[in-house]
Amino acid sequence: MKFYVRRFAFYLATLWFAVTLNFVLPRLLPGDPATILLQKLARQGGEVTPAMLRSVELLLGTSDGASVWSQYWSYLGSILRGDLGVSISNYPEQVTTLIGQALPWTLALVGLATIISFVLGVLVGAYVGWKRGTWADHIIPATTFMQSVPYFWLALLLIYIFSVTLGWFPIIGGWDTWTFDNPEASFAFLKDVIWHGTLPALTIILSSVGGWLLGMRNMTVSTLSEDYITTAEAKGLRPSRIFMTYAVRNAALPSIAGFTISLGFVVAGSIVMEQVFTYPGLGRLMIQAVQGKDYALMQGVFLVITLTVLAANFIMDMFYGLIDPRARNNG
Amino acid sequence: MIRTEGLRRLLPAVALASSVALIASGCSSDSDGGSGGSSGEESVLNVWAGSQTPLVANFNPYSTGIQNGTLGPIYEPLFYFNRAAAGDPVPMLGMSYEFNEDGTEITVKTREGVTWNDGTPFTAKDVAFTWNYEPAKPLGLISAEATDDTTVVAKFETAQYTTVAGLFMAAVVPEHIWKDKSADEALSWANEEAVGTGPYMVESTSSQAFTLTKNPEYWQEGKPTVEKLRYLGINDNNSAQSLLTTGKIDWTAMFIADTEPVTADGRIAMVNTPQDPTVIYTCSNAELGCTGPQTDVAVRQAINLVLDRTEINSKAFSEKAGIISPTFALMPRDEKWLAEGMPEESPQTADAAAAEKVLTDAGYAKGGDGIYAKDGERVAMTLVSIDGWTDYNNAAKLIAEQAAAAGIEITASTASQAEVDEQKTSGSFQLMVHGMNGTNVADPYQIYLDWFTTDKTQPVGTTVPQGDWNFSRFSNPDVDAAVVAAAATDDDATRLEQYTIIQDAIVTDLPYIPLVINSTMTFQNVKDFTGWPTDEDLYAFPPSWGAMASGLVVTNLTPTD
Repeated sequence: MKFYVRRFAFYLATLWFAVTLNFVLPRLLPGDPATILLQKLARQGGEVTPAMLRSVELLLGTSDGASVWSQYWSYLGSILRGDLGVSISNYPEQVTTLIGQALPWTLALVGLATIISFVLGVLVGAYVGWKRGTWADHIIPATTFMQSVPYFWLALLLIYIFSVTLGWFPIIGGWDTWTFDNPEASFAFLKDVIWHGTLPALTIILSSVGGWLLGMRNMTVSTLSEDYITTAEAKGLRPSRIFMTYAVRNAALPSIAGFTISLGFVVAGSIVMEQVFTYPGLGRLMIQAVQGKDYALMQGVFLVITLTVLAANFIMDMFYGLIDPRARNNG
Repeated sequence: MIRTEGLRRLLPAVALASSVALIASGCSSDSDGGSGGSSGEESVLNVWAGSQTPLVANFNPYSTGIQNGTLGPIYEPLFYFNRAAAGDPVPMLGMSYEFNEDGTEITVKTREGVTWNDGTPFTAKDVAFTWNYEPAKPLGLISAEATDDTTVVAKFETAQYTTVAGLFMAAVVPEHIWKDKSADEALSWANEEAVGTGPYMVESTSSQAFTLTKNPEYWQEGKPTVEKLRYLGINDNNSAQSLLTTGKIDWTAMFIADTEPVTADGRIAMVNTPQDPTVIYTCSNAELGCTGPQTDVAVRQAINLVLDRTEINSKAFSEKAGIISPTFALMPRDEKWLAEGMPEESPQTADAAAAEKVLTDAGYAKGGDGIYAKDGERVAMTLVSIDGWTDYNNAAKLIAEQAAAAGIEITASTASQAEVDEQKTSGSFQLMVHGMNGTNVADPYQIYLDWFTTDKTQPVGTTVPQGDWNFSRFSNPDVDAAVVAAAATDDDATRLEQYTIIQDAIVTDLPYIPLVINSTMTFQNVKDFTGWPTDEDLYAFPPSWGAMASGLVVTNLTPTD
């Protein structure tokens, strides 16, 4: 019990620290939101009229003398109330609404892609490790090559081949805006969403599966040289049984730990993917917030990411404490 | 052996590819949506005006989050002033206007028979309300009132000859909707069901796109003929270009270096209307605290002469930029504002000998390192541009190379946008490749006022406030007086006299060394729609983001069968 209390307190402290950092970091960034906003308006072709200037002043407020401390307290207070403020770069939308709209897309797409990539990587990795020294070893360089290809380039290449040239997949979006004005609960829409998610998911899988595969393969190879495997072979067990219950089970432990952490990062979305595919996820919001010095949005997005990563770590900690008594005693 | 291994290695890839193909063919049957104009279906014009996702429904003309398509398609101005070509203002909600003798009072006759898209009739009272309305109130307005349903009279503190375009191009809002909104509310309101007089009204919005549908009661008989406008949010220029080539976008404006693949099949046409000058800002005024060789006019003149603008245009701007005039009159649009004897173009080829002569005449002598110097100070300067703005970065590198030919040392450096902004507003730079705003009417006045007058600058170290643009710290009492005098007259000849003074000063003094006019490239689907502005008939500013101009363009379009 003491273990769990200690972990819980630790996470509480980490949470406070993360939330505070979240407040401090955006304010250390150089640049002035008003200038950036005006330039954005000018670039979009709106003439910056005196009325616009006044509206920007009203929006961002001239320094009203609030001290950093009082800003910090009101920040903590509004987080507790669940009020993340209004986004300046997407004025006048609430940050919570923006995040609420983006989160499901990111969770579904990046989440699914991460799981597929993990399962694929671990299964194939285990198999390749089992068949070490045969033709199967050639899969490793192929997948690590895919991983080393710059991500955006891979995405652009896939778009060029499958969307522009062959026309099999759409070029942008989470759904077909030319057909559906708004998301709707219909089978046709679901099909459309899957169709739109295929290429983005494929880029994530292609560029991440190599890591899982390589890690799992190496763990399998080193597990196979363990004495208990030799014992099992000497006992005359079926190879499939040795593979599944002796080798894979032990070799997968580190991968599972890594997987839990990467699940935590799923909410951060995949910034490049969402940019290239104009996918309506959280990573997109993050870029926008940083570019536009949109403090409220930045804090909101970072908060969500921090919370999820912490939660994922917490769950993993608890999980490990459950399955591995050593962690419980030494933690 | 190797060969069979290769085959086996390919197997998974083939399997993957074929399964992908299966999924795709299963889904792609209903994917042929897209362009309007196809017979039978209702016509939809797909527009990308540079917005990125997520789109937030905001059709409030006074908000900073305003969506493209609000000004023009939904809200209309009194008169449309064309920034693409010279010509008379186009009457929209206004029919005619006249000034009193000293230009401080304007009387506008408004159009009859116009209704707001909620059915309420439009009258001169709406115009008076708009002008008096706090968020939209023009500077120096004393009073604005509707004397009857079609006449509105506005009194100002100063002559309005040069500011009238801004006043008339502003969106007119309905009094019956906006009178209940306080100034603060007016700025934070999203106005999702915008009530305007324009040819389109809001139909639906999502985070990826919004759709405007035709206003059946529009005052221009029989127009518009395109049923719907769909404004898209796209995060990446590459995607936009792909969508353009695959027929998913009908109207957009963006920079594409190689337009050949886009326009090859004749469906998409490109119109280039260069508008905004790209210049070298120089911190030119030693009296206001600028330091460095560029504070000497001879150095600025030498740089101006040694530049090979043809090379800069072709290597840094893909030959898409326009030719700049050192008078900042946009040629040929502002032809009548070019004073006699003033150069129509900045030198397009380098003349190193002339540049060296300017320096020698000013008392500079070449040092052992091949760089000119005077009183121990070498002619060496730093030229900054925003990191990642590759056209500017490349131009800066070319300038540095070209200047070296005349014994001028320019070091091209880059900095983040925030740093460049800081340097620009505080004056802590020597040279900077940067943009200037073109004027929104066929008259260079706004550039002279905003970029060259003493009122619009601050000493080095003091931030130039938002809305002021004189970053070169240029200050010349003659120019200040001429700008004031030009604003006080409606007579073209008198104004041109004042412009002569201004142009004479800035062409010699070169506080901003002109480089090129930035391209504004518009891509139009000419196969499915006709009526676009073209090089021959620039009836409105063509880009899809053009405020108010986009309203004229969409009203003029007709789907082909």
